[in-house]
Amino acid sequence: MSFKEWEAVVNIIAALAIGAWVIFEALANPPVTVEAVAGRLLWAILFGVLFTIAAMIVMSILVSIARREEFKDEKADERDKLVALRAMRNGYIVASVAGIASLLTLAFSADPARAAYVLFGGLMLAGIIDAGSRLVYYRIG
Amino acid sequence: MGKGQARIDNTIRTLRFNAGEMTQAALAEKVGVTRQTIVAMEQGRYSPSLEVAFRVARAFGVPLEAVFQYRGENE
Repeated sequence: MSFKEWEAVVNIIAALAIGAWVIFEALANPPVTVEAVAGRLLWAILFGVLFTIAAMIVMSILVSIARREEFKDEKADERDKLVALRAMRNGYIVASVAGIASLLTLAFSADPARAAYVLFGGLMLAGIIDAGSRLVYYRIG
Repeated sequence: MGKGQARIDNTIRTLRFNAGEMTQAALAEKVGVTRQTIVAMEQGRYSPSLEVAFRVARAFGVPLEAVFQYRGENE
């Protein structure tokens, strides 16, 4: 697997881990106000970024040890850019649906906190779809 | 890449063999793409842009049609 494929795997793991943590926290300690929900989701985004950076470093070290050579990213060529664009398109579709679902949640007078969770979950799913699409396109062309 | 991609054949593997078993990494460096892209081209999973196609041909010192052959829609 290339560095970019490993990167996609790490992105999926990070999104799943952060998504699981948000769901667990939402069920175990349901926040009372919309502000609390938004704050918690912003923290989740920050943790997601930090988790991804740490996981990328660990992945690079482990794969470098396994291959006995430095494992680093290569400059993206036209195929990488094409794969990224097609994957981003898939992620964008999911993110758009998440945005609409979030607005619909508000339109039907549901709890605004629920709309925030719908939006956050949709964006996490969009990230997973984007990374998953990259893996698929690198494999099947 | 994508729909209809399999209509272009190539002889990159043969040309590499004839060029003294040139490695995929060496060809990738000459062409200016990643090794994974060369692998994908050889396996017919990726049809490169016209510019990269010309660069591959130049790397082997052969005309473009010696590297890539268009099979057509009905073949």
